[in-house]
Amino acid sequence: MIRVELPAHLRTLARVDGQIEIEVVGAVTQRSVLSALEARYPTLRGTMRDHVTEKRRPFVRFFACGEDISLKSPDSPLPEAVAKGRETFLVVGAIAGG
Amino acid sequence: MSSVSLTNEEILRYSRHLIMPEVALAGQEKLKAARVLCVGAGGLGSPIALYLAAAGIGTIGIVDFDVVDSTNLQRQIIHTTADVGRSKVESAAEKISAINPHIEVRHFNVALSSENALEIFSDFDIVADGTDNFATRYLVNDACVLSRIPYVYASVFRFEGQASVFAAGDGPCYRCLYPEPPPPGTVPSCAEGGVLGVLPGLLGVIQATEVIKLVLGAGDSLVGRLLLVDALSMRFRELKLARNPDCPVCGENPTVRHLIDYEEFCGVRGEERHNDAIGGTSATGSGALPEIQPEELKALLDRGEDIVVLDVREPHEREISRLGGPAIPLGDLAERVHELDSSRDIVAYCKVGVRSAKAVEFLRSIGFRRVRNLAGGIDAWAKRVDPSMPRY
Repeated sequence: MIRVELPAHLRTLARVDGQIEIEVVGAVTQRSVLSALEARYPTLRGTMRDHVTEKRRPFVRFFACGEDISLKSPDSPLPEAVAKGRETFLVVGAIAGG
Repeated sequence: MSSVSLTNEEILRYSRHLIMPEVALAGQEKLKAARVLCVGAGGLGSPIALYLAAAGIGTIGIVDFDVVDSTNLQRQIIHTTADVGRSKVESAAEKISAINPHIEVRHFNVALSSENALEIFSDFDIVADGTDNFATRYLVNDACVLSRIPYVYASVFRFEGQASVFAAGDGPCYRCLYPEPPPPGTVPSCAEGGVLGVLPGLLGVIQATEVIKLVLGAGDSLVGRLLLVDALSMRFRELKLARNPDCPVCGENPTVRHLIDYEEFCGVRGEERHNDAIGGTSATGSGALPEIQPEELKALLDRGEDIVVLDVREPHEREISRLGGPAIPLGDLAERVHELDSSRDIVAYCKVGVRSAKAVEFLRSIGFRRVRNLAGGIDAWAKRVDPSMPRY
């Protein structure tokens, strides 16, 4: 079970409160986590990565265990703590309110 | 050793600072010699300016072109009910001087722009960003990088906030974190999505703290760290940030060497400006959409025309005000689109026209041809057609 945290505006879009728990089949990577997330919540498609190229959107970043993993390969394995559900896969998005 | 000195009156005023070895007399003199620019006198700018004034920052600049509105008062604590309608910089300058008459306030009653930013920034040592839109945030970042001035950043939305210090030393800049802004309308503004009133207070105080630490040269600043604040769970988390060697502004081979057109960079129009959009089309990520003005819709409805007025807001917003017609929140539209008849004229509305523009774009993409967006949303309707309707 992977625990995912989304920023407020994406939680609204997905109609969820708090953390999301998803099952990922096979290797736990950015790509597999995001694909599982988008399969469960189709409204999130295109918000975190491009529909076609699956490239991360430049106004979104991914963190695991406090580290920015946005620039790592989407197929790199995520830290074990995230894969085992002890830590969250954290999505951070640009906000501009002041 | 700074060139300023404190009067006896100032020594008494700042005594709680002076007895701390981390500040002491030398530190307080540094604070007095410092020149800090607050961009925006709003939710973040209010606590930043008030606390920096109280702390004895010698020169405080404030840039804002706006006037105080009653919807500001829920969080912009530098302004009072009596200030509604006044220029924000005048209102803020008055409060700053009332708190601390020993400091100099410079106010700039202008919109910060690519034409004036570098000149305004040239008289300051640190910039604290309290703006409310992406275009100005990228402008502030780029101007800080080009001017080699630290950029003390925070932003808020609903119950969540982010803070960091950019463009300082070897640390990253805002573009290292977010190289490009979201397309207009995809991330709601506080006007669309709301913000807990005390949240900019929390984040603005963090910004003021970082400014003071930078001036004193004390402690560990937020350079290279992104602080995430969730007021609802009251969790503070920090994430490590690294400078991007390929950053177009602060990277090894920068391509942005002067200020650009930030409105264009962030989309046709900033999302906040969408609020005041008038004319026949809405700006969205994929081009122009048909629009209808509130007065025109009123006339059509009065004539008994067959128009479906579709509310795409959330149920709690509908409790405040409504125009009649069906309600399908934007997030449910794809699932419930079968409830709509594409052969009828449809006018979609939300609060200010951003979400309904997305609804119109979606409906058109699946074949609806007789669908338009209510320009300015129910807010424009309340202002221009039915002043008895509550605004929010």
